[in-house]
Amino acid sequence: MSESKQRWRLVFARDDEARFLSHLDAVHLWERAFRRGEIPVATSEGFSPRPRLIFAAPLPLGMLAEHDLADLFLAERLTHPDLRSRLADGMPRGYRLIDLHDEWVGGPALATRLVAADYRLTLLGVSPDRLAPAAGALLAAASLPREKRREKRVTAYDLRPLLLDLQVREDEVAAGAADGVGVPAAGLWMRLRNSQEMGSGRAEEVVAALADELGLATAAAVREEETPQTETPKDERRPAEARALTPEAQDAVAPVVEMVRSVRERLWLAEELALRDAEGRPAAPSRLPSRV
Amino acid sequence: MTAALSDHPTPPTIATTGSHHAPPPLPSLAVERALGRVRKPGRYAGGEWNSVRKDWAAVALKWCFAYPDLYEIGMSNLGLRILYEVINDRPDRLAERCFAPDVDLQDQLRAARLPLWSLETRRALRDFDVLGVSLGYELTYTNLLDMLDLGGLGLTTAERAEADPLVIAGGSSVLNPEPISDFLDAVLLGEGEDAVLEISDALERMGWHRRVRGPVGEWRRGVARAAALRELARIPGVYVPSLYRPRYDPDGTFEGLDPVTGADVPAVVHGRVAADFETHVHGIRQIVPNIAIVFDRAQLEVMRGCTRGCRFCQAGMHYRPLRERAPDVAVEAAQAILKATGYEEIGLTSLSTADYTYVNEVATTIHRLCPEANISLPSTRVDAFTVELVDAIAPGGRRSGFTFAPEAGSQRLRDVINKGVSDEEIARCAELAFSRGWSSLKLYFMIGLPGETMEDVLAISKICRRVLEVGRRHHGGRAQVKANISTFVPKVSTPFMWSGQDSTVEIEAKVAALRKTMHGQGLDLRWHSPFSSILEAALGRGDRRLNAVVRRAWRKGARFDAWDEHFSYERWLEAFEEEGLDPAWYAQRDIPFDQPLPWGHLSCGVTQEFLARDWQRALSGKIAADCHWGPCYNCGVPVATGFECQTGEDGPRQLLRQPEDVEPSGRRWRYVGPPGDPRRQVAGSREVAAHSWPYDLMGTDVQSKNAGLSGLASLVDAAGGESTG
Repeated sequence: MSESKQRWRLVFARDDEARFLSHLDAVHLWERAFRRGEIPVATSEGFSPRPRLIFAAPLPLGMLAEHDLADLFLAERLTHPDLRSRLADGMPRGYRLIDLHDEWVGGPALATRLVAADYRLTLLGVSPDRLAPAAGALLAAASLPREKRREKRVTAYDLRPLLLDLQVREDEVAAGAADGVGVPAAGLWMRLRNSQEMGSGRAEEVVAALADELGLATAAAVREEETPQTETPKDERRPAEARALTPEAQDAVAPVVEMVRSVRERLWLAEELALRDAEGRPAAPSRLPSRV
Repeated sequence: MTAALSDHPTPPTIATTGSHHAPPPLPSLAVERALGRVRKPGRYAGGEWNSVRKDWAAVALKWCFAYPDLYEIGMSNLGLRILYEVINDRPDRLAERCFAPDVDLQDQLRAARLPLWSLETRRALRDFDVLGVSLGYELTYTNLLDMLDLGGLGLTTAERAEADPLVIAGGSSVLNPEPISDFLDAVLLGEGEDAVLEISDALERMGWHRRVRGPVGEWRRGVARAAALRELARIPGVYVPSLYRPRYDPDGTFEGLDPVTGADVPAVVHGRVAADFETHVHGIRQIVPNIAIVFDRAQLEVMRGCTRGCRFCQAGMHYRPLRERAPDVAVEAAQAILKATGYEEIGLTSLSTADYTYVNEVATTIHRLCPEANISLPSTRVDAFTVELVDAIAPGGRRSGFTFAPEAGSQRLRDVINKGVSDEEIARCAELAFSRGWSSLKLYFMIGLPGETMEDVLAISKICRRVLEVGRRHHGGRAQVKANISTFVPKVSTPFMWSGQDSTVEIEAKVAALRKTMHGQGLDLRWHSPFSSILEAALGRGDRRLNAVVRRAWRKGARFDAWDEHFSYERWLEAFEEEGLDPAWYAQRDIPFDQPLPWGHLSCGVTQEFLARDWQRALSGKIAADCHWGPCYNCGVPVATGFECQTGEDGPRQLLRQPEDVEPSGRRWRYVGPPGDPRRQVAGSREVAAHSWPYDLMGTDVQSKNAGLSGLASLVDAAGGESTG
């Protein structure tokens, strides 16, 4: 382990080129970027020391980000322009550095300060008119019992206290998307709570709750931990040149609510956003002047 | 580019204007939806570090390298990394990549009627000018058909539209491309570094990249397809199958191949050899994948070719002459590659890296200059030097597994296959490896080798037990010996190509007998079902009639035949039967010497006469020494390739460039061994590669954390070899 002499907060965006990276892939990508830029990153303890780059919240596979946060610990002090130019040398494709500021090395862990995240996405397969009442119903509900699956373990939890705000929008992306694929589309914006005690809200869970409310299925979302082998039946026959589909494939393209163009707009730290306690409605966001 | 140029890695920028053909990329929402429904979408998304995106309108000739296997396998291929850079280094050309989509994405593409796209700019494969197909393994042929089909091209050269790209194949399987010749417009034999540029020049000169409207408004190119192919056939190393027609005698045996009327084509096409291997390194700015791949590390090829002469080994015959990178070039390139990629590990690759003359000093120097980087040696041979070398560069690393490939169990059979290693040597290696901390050894063997008796098979268990005993002395009950058994596949352009494979009944009987003797703690026997090996042999030694079989099998749903969960031998049997052919005839028959070979018109340098002589030596159980040190066996490579074999003043033979070739000053490489080198006294005997290596590795300060050698040999096979040109 090397001692951390300096802690930099990275504010970054993720664009289309890096959209389909899992969190683990992203971590490897950044490690190589530091080597290319010859950045003296402090390392963690343990048998195989890892560079100390701590993300505020893992970014789900398939999601873009406009204002994500990570803390980078250095073994040697660097000046702001020096670090900025070294990062620029090897910055992974699809990631953009928005801002960089010096933090106190002994300060609290980033994740403990995270209170909320804003998400914006487009839902295919449902119109804004149909979606709005469902969104209202979710916000009006006292509780939204759902199940969390991690590998084989299933735990019940309440989504409602994690859902701070939900708005249906008729945005241009949705309209454009609807033209392109011939299905109705609606824009959706939400603010979800990140809490040490209650866990963090997931956009796809809110979408699933909406779909339940509407009585629709959701398209299989990409999950990082999923590694099932979709076996092709041995007796599958491909008719000459007809390119027929397997039944599984036909299921996969059946009409459902499908989440596309999902973006994490912003991660909020406690000092940036004051939240009222667990019963639901968010306080008016007290947008502190950014330290940018 | 040379190693010296890349002082600072900058991803190439995108030019802005131009007037060349530039169809639009696929709609991004459609791509996103398809990728949102498949496993590991990172395979198809592109955007990796060092991948090159160019403005299509500013670039004349566009290549797409299509690798007929999954991203994780294809991206590990060094040949792809090399050729990608060779073409993209030219500002007026571009190369993109495409890999076989897994079955889930295939379904999505067919359902959404989306064409298969290139990773860099997401254009359909049919929009490119040339598809460069890498064929390293017969069991990927059906994937190629899927890629052509999904890419929107006509499947066969006859079915392709005038505007479709040319499909040009390379790689080690193209030593016999006849079973899939219908699907290929042209084939490049040998190493591609120089030839891809010559092909590009010729196509641009002809106007192949220009699009024009034909008489009924259809798209054509600046030159007719047939004319372009005839022109390409004039480039050395390029074989255009459609310009030849095969003859068969009434009972179905191949009789010969004739040029079609009016075609000015060579009777024998010779493979290419890259001109400047010793002094130039291509593939510095290697793409760094975003997702984990099979060989997830930087690669530096330190040596090409191998003169050990193992009789089953196709690569050893294919990539002659032996060429070694000058040590200063290798070190400089390794530094540049590590800097340009940010990789934490670099593999010094070749067919047998421990044979690289400078392996010790190169590894030591790289370690001194880049102390953070791990160094790995993928292909190693069975001897003490290897153990010491790996131990030296990985002193603190995992001691989990060490892999050797004795290939055969008995001394007699190892002499037949010319694997020059003795039981004593294997035991000595095991002693060394176990004493240096490894507690588990993996041994690779083949079953069904020519002339194999049950005694030879059972010798596998004898040698395994002997090795295990050594391990027990060091590690007690923790010691493990894992034997990996594969079925011998006769490969074309090897002395064993005339030899038939054992029948599955024989193979299964041999494995069953071996299994009985391999019980007990610490012994583990793994083997693969022989059916995919039969198919591999049948396709490997096949003739043009197999084109119809491949197509039928594909229509029946064959794909990813190299993957157990997708492979169905019954499907292939049906396809063979429906064409009135028998895979056993192709795979299991001993071919008489006097019979014309369906691949006889394609040569990688070694002559058929040499292979036949070596086959005779094998039949009488005689070994042939490594000709790098021993006598010359007159393999024919110098004549075919323009490289010259020279006997050094003081004994050892080596291959040197011909004097008239231009060499950059100060880089000319010539081996001068240390005086009193013990190898010289024993040159020519089997003891050549034994324990008497001159370098004292243990005295060096090489340090590297993870050499990661376990399981590599099998992965090398899976990836079609690391050092494809």
